[in-house]
Amino acid sequence: MRVPETEGSCGPPTSHIPEAMNSVSPSAAQYRAGAQQEDLLPPAGRRPPRDPRNYFGNDEPDEVDRLKAKLMSAWNNVKYGWSVKMKTSFNKTSPLILLGRIYVLNDEDEVERFQRDFVSRVWLTYRREFPQLEGSVWTTDCGWGCMLRSGQMLLAQGLLAHLLPSEWTWPGAHQLADVDMEVLKPRSPSRGGLFPGPPLSRAPCQTPRGHGSGVEGSGRRAPPGHSQDPHSEAVHRRVVSWFGDHPHAPFGVHQLVELGKSSGKKAGDWYGPSIVAHIICKAVANATDIRNLAVYVSQDCTVYKGDVARLCEQGVTEGLSAPSPSWKSVIILVPVRLGGETLNPVYTECVKSILSLDCCIGIIGGKPKHSLYFIGFQDEQLLYLDPHYCQAVVDVTRDHFPLESFHCNSPRKMSFSRMDPSCTIGFYARSRKDFETLCSAVTAALASSPMEKYPIFTFAEGQSQDYVLGEHAGMPSAHRGCILPAGHLSRTHGGSMDDFVLL
Amino acid sequence: KMPPSEKSQHAKPFKQRKSLATRKEEVAGIRLKFPTKIPVIVERYHREKYLPSLDKTKFLVPQELTMTQFITIIRNRMSLTPSQAFYLLVNNSSLASMSLTMAEVYKDNKDEDGFLYMTYASQEMFGSCTECTAVELSKAG
Repeated sequence: MRVPETEGSCGPPTSHIPEAMNSVSPSAAQYRAGAQQEDLLPPAGRRPPRDPRNYFGNDEPDEVDRLKAKLMSAWNNVKYGWSVKMKTSFNKTSPLILLGRIYVLNDEDEVERFQRDFVSRVWLTYRREFPQLEGSVWTTDCGWGCMLRSGQMLLAQGLLAHLLPSEWTWPGAHQLADVDMEVLKPRSPSRGGLFPGPPLSRAPCQTPRGHGSGVEGSGRRAPPGHSQDPHSEAVHRRVVSWFGDHPHAPFGVHQLVELGKSSGKKAGDWYGPSIVAHIICKAVANATDIRNLAVYVSQDCTVYKGDVARLCEQGVTEGLSAPSPSWKSVIILVPVRLGGETLNPVYTECVKSILSLDCCIGIIGGKPKHSLYFIGFQDEQLLYLDPHYCQAVVDVTRDHFPLESFHCNSPRKMSFSRMDPSCTIGFYARSRKDFETLCSAVTAALASSPMEKYPIFTFAEGQSQDYVLGEHAGMPSAHRGCILPAGHLSRTHGGSMDDFVLL
Repeated sequence: KMPPSEKSQHAKPFKQRKSLATRKEEVAGIRLKFPTKIPVIVERYHREKYLPSLDKTKFLVPQELTMTQFITIIRNRMSLTPSQAFYLLVNNSSLASMSLTMAEVYKDNKDEDGFLYMTYASQEMFGSCTECTAVELSKAG
């Protein structure tokens, strides 16, 4: 195992060692991968070189702080449900879908491809000890910021789709090698599905379809042992840094909380998937680093194609060297409500169809009160990334800041039946042509509901205002409606509550 | 010190306030007077914490009105901004097909009493520590 670049290459000693360098242990306490890394690292690599001036000084308070931080971290993670460490089981034969890619985990290569793909998704979690959020006393989002974190993950996926080739995976993924998962044979009645199959590493290569199994989608991934592309890695690192926990990061929690204020939210509040969609929209519009990318948020479950077109044609940046595109890439966010208290089961198939699309960048939602970022499914379970893991802040303004804590090696699943009905679905289209493809692909996916007349959402031609203003012109009373007086209609039932509003 | 819970502040749903016979009679009466209008009951989802209550629950709606138009009317009555989440649910399904007319929705979903029942809701909020839940509850009340 190679020494991770993060701590090994922290450069010449500096007089100022930020806290992040001491406490950075991305998954250390929790993940076996992390623990192994620490064990394998040479002593010199474990801790950054100290400022000689402090060397003989106060080593002890530092140790106390470290211990404190570790305890806090352990406590938070008990609180937020990461205490029970268990491997997630995956079915060996059912297709496993991860953001439009299909994996069948019946051979080791396929399992590895899935793991590399999963670990490469950007994972954003609660952080503590970041600069105070303006106008509040908060220096952490532990306990309230989970929906913002899910929203950040969705946006990060959109940015990866926008800036990197679709087959990109993080070359550092192997640093989180020991992925917390096991692959099981399908349930057989005699065993009741309770007995674990062979451990992942020893999974026999039962490949009836031979190596051709990779053809189903995942074959597009780069082969194992691909070389590191410095440009892609720089882009990946830059994308992660945009989500840094400091006031100047364009998509950091500081900026998002600030933008949420106009929706009546403040630091410490709980956020919903629709509000977060609007916050993301504003954040991308404000970001000077992001060019030729727009965000569209649908209203009333309708994506108006005319509105998307107008947004994408607006203010396209004139490229200096490259020919300027006449159409911005777009992230489309659709806030929906898929039932009252619980997910209406009629929508399950449709959610699966949507997550199977190439253009889908995931769904932000969760279990009741507990936000999650859904990125796929297997059988009747959703695959997700969970932001409820409190980590120390990482100073992303440093060169070679450690990336491990921004990726997750623990794929987890939950039943569709536990999904909260409030969520926002995300899509990405690079070009006008992609957008047209998206419209037809998504429309087809939406029709997979048994209630075809009542889809999750719809696409409409034209602009939203055409629908309200135009058709309403002949109906002046419709805006307010007139109230029929009580008793006018029925002799027996009066009272103001019984009045009808006549539209 | 705790404010009264949300539920106690609101009367029972329309359907529970009146017997089936009374409701049927009411629909028959109104259909006689306005044969082309559809009687609709619009109520707040019982767990809704963010959207205001509507001043009225009973609507007589033209058959040809589309869902887009109807939702716009309800949104306007509550003075919601366009970016505020608002969903109309019928039989636990979200009404997303905005081109559907009232007549179509009525045909598929009318109750045995002759009314069309709709519930409106925004979205749930997420966060997850117990202390925050207490704060959230007190704020909602």
